Amino acid sequence: MIQMKEFTFQYDTGKKPALKNIDLEIHDGDFVGIIGNSGAGKSTLTYAINGIVPHYYPGDFYGSVLVDGMDTVDTAPEQLAVKVGSVFQDVDAQMVATYVEDELLFGMENFGVPKDEIEARLTEALQKTGIPDLRFREIDSLSGGQKQKVAVAAIIALRPDIIVLDEPTGELDPESSDQIFQMLKFLNETYGTTIIVVEQKVGLLCGYAKRLVLLEQGEIILEGPVREVLKNADRMEEIGIHVPRVVSLYKELVQRDLFRGEAPIGLEEAETMVREVLS
Amino acid sequence: MIRFEKVSFSYMEEGSTLQDLSFTIEKGSITALVGANGAGKTTLAKLIRGLIHPTAGRILFEEEDISKCKASTLAARMGYLFQNPDRQICKNTVGEELDFTLERTVQDPIERQRLKDDVLNALQLDPADEPFLLSRGERQKVALASALVHRPQLLILDEPTTGLDYKECTQIMEYVQALNRQGVTVVMVCHDMEIVLDYADHVIVMHSGKITADGKTRQILQDPTALTSSALLPPQIIGLAARLMADGYSGFEGICTVDAMATQIEAARKAVTA
Amino acid sequence: MKGLMNYFPGDTFLHRMDPRSKIVFSLLVCIACFVTNNIYVLLGILVLDLLIGVFGGIFTQALRLLKGLLKIALFLFILQALVMRAGTPAFYIGKLAITWEGLKTALMGVLRLIDITLPLALMISLTRMSDLSNALVSRWHVPYKYAFAITSTIRFIPVFTSDLRSIMEAQTARGVEFDTKNFFKKASLIVPLCVPLLISSVKKIETAAMAVELRGFNLRTKDSSSKVSQFHLPDYLLLLLGIGLIVLAVLI
Repeated sequence: MIQMKEFTFQYDTGKKPALKNIDLEIHDGDFVGIIGNSGAGKSTLTYAINGIVPHYYPGDFYGSVLVDGMDTVDTAPEQLAVKVGSVFQDVDAQMVATYVEDELLFGMENFGVPKDEIEARLTEALQKTGIPDLRFREIDSLSGGQKQKVAVAAIIALRPDIIVLDEPTGELDPESSDQIFQMLKFLNETYGTTIIVVEQKVGLLCGYAKRLVLLEQGEIILEGPVREVLKNADRMEEIGIHVPRVVSLYKELVQRDLFRGEAPIGLEEAETMVREVLS
Repeated sequence: MIRFEKVSFSYMEEGSTLQDLSFTIEKGSITALVGANGAGKTTLAKLIRGLIHPTAGRILFEEEDISKCKASTLAARMGYLFQNPDRQICKNTVGEELDFTLERTVQDPIERQRLKDDVLNALQLDPADEPFLLSRGERQKVALASALVHRPQLLILDEPTTGLDYKECTQIMEYVQALNRQGVTVVMVCHDMEIVLDYADHVIVMHSGKITADGKTRQILQDPTALTSSALLPPQIIGLAARLMADGYSGFEGICTVDAMATQIEAARKAVTA
Repeated sequence: MKGLMNYFPGDTFLHRMDPRSKIVFSLLVCIACFVTNNIYVLLGILVLDLLIGVFGGIFTQALRLLKGLLKIALFLFILQALVMRAGTPAFYIGKLAITWEGLKTALMGVLRLIDITLPLALMISLTRMSDLSNALVSRWHVPYKYAFAITSTIRFIPVFTSDLRSIMEAQTARGVEFDTKNFFKKASLIVPLCVPLLISSVKKIETAAMAVELRGFNLRTKDSSSKVSQFHLPDYLLLLLGIGLIVLAVLI
């Protein structure tokens, strides 16, 4: 579980706090999507969870961030890393090896996974991310989507309870993006891994996440189950969030007093919504 | 404005190729190049700009063979925004960055100043800002500004909205659209079908180095086979309209926007209750 | 881009050998080349080098390498033959005598150059970088940080090369004349190119450092590697062959 209490952080290089008065609880097995405009503090929020803040980027740190009861300020990032796996925005930069297999071995070897366990964990991680066939491939030869999966597999091999991802689909086309989220959903549902993901593609995110956190200028504006947050489509559009068009339609239908139900997620639910209105 | 005549291209090292492409980009249009990762969109954009040359066939820009021109001298007439803004930003301030482009493309100093002020205003940029201290979105705006400050006849944008939030994205696209109305032809590589729907008037769909569809935006986006064969999804409202029509509801033909959809639903609802 | 020093995947007995024995063997061959004064030994080693190419399944690569080396070799050969003045003249170029001794020394020098370069280059083509660094760290106790620095550098070269290429394209698109044929003009354009490259590299390295640290880089010890390199019969045989070559070189 992650608990943030009155958490405020300002980078040494910053002119104002990157995050202000954050009170947030993320429970085990949750799938949380973090959305917001650029500069809203999304990346900083992920850094607070994996300990990059304040260990790597120093600054003024107020309040507390607890990961499974461990205070991130007092815990070394490596120690946190056993609990929290991180996937960064720049997928090329975070790779250390030339071959997929070595990429997965790197972390396991560092954390001293017993040598007789390594092979089993390696195959398991590749299996879970759906890329057993890539094991002996050269990383340079992979597509963007495949590289993302390798990055996640390398993290999964360390068996973290929580995985934090910063815009994993930033440079992917719609189909590859969807595949990444399917993989995250599988990990979340089958193994109970807590997923925290920063994402610009709100429509895609809504189809998979259980909860949304909306940040604006360092503060949490909205937070809750996806449908609850989507009820505030107006507010989101005002801030400049890319609300899925079917949700805008839902908002429009509610305003015209044609519909009273929940906000639809995806086309199928939108279709049901319209059928309901027209019945 | 741009005409491809049986153009093929292959990189020496890699297998990535374009095969036998023929199409025209009309003057004054906004054309979107869409397709999955690796379909060859960026390669096509670079061919148009003359950064790489076809291995077969020819590309005409205003009836002039592009491979006969030096890419650097075409800069005055063509602007190009790269996917990653950090590839092109090289000066210490936003103002100098714009000057860098203007020095190479515009002769008259008064005109330079006018163009510079204009773009700074439109994109709300501060000429004294240091580009490398700005956020990704802001840097993208700086890169865009320096690609179009000299008002080229043709503007080529490679995924102009990647890494931007929706607000920045609409701001950029609104400006591009405004320039287009003043006569700038735009070609953009884009993944976001909603953006394509909102801003482009032509769409070229690519799949594994071939053009699988080419036509007016609404016509292409409403053609389910044109998109799905290239692993693309139609914009949500168009997808919804298609589903409703498949369910047997009438009156949803050609509906693309939220407003039109809501109005049509309201009308249909009245018909049901009446 | 497949160039010098690139690993060529495969599963031959040379691929499977301990990286250490391959490195040591290459060094032994070097020593033998320096010790010997016999042209037949040098020719024999050249054949051996090509055999490595054959057994490693990279014969075409070996030939390409040889071709590249021959260009440099030819230049050195001519230079050496011209410089060596002593001995019996073989023929004259104008008034300049080219001696038999000169030709022989030149040939020996060229053969040495090729014989020394080939084995190491070929052996590296047959060895995965990670295996080499693992072996160096766990067996020879080279500090991991150094080994990591070297392997990362090699890994980042293609990344930076492609960055550089796209930066050049981006600047050309803005009217910077990278497409000029004038070398001096091109060189003066280097500034707009260096700044973006530097910025993107620094960013990449920062992310890389964070990512690596969060994956336990600082916890790593010399025993961390799960792939332990071990000497087997072929390794001993290869080393024996290397020593044999030196003995041969000394004796004849």
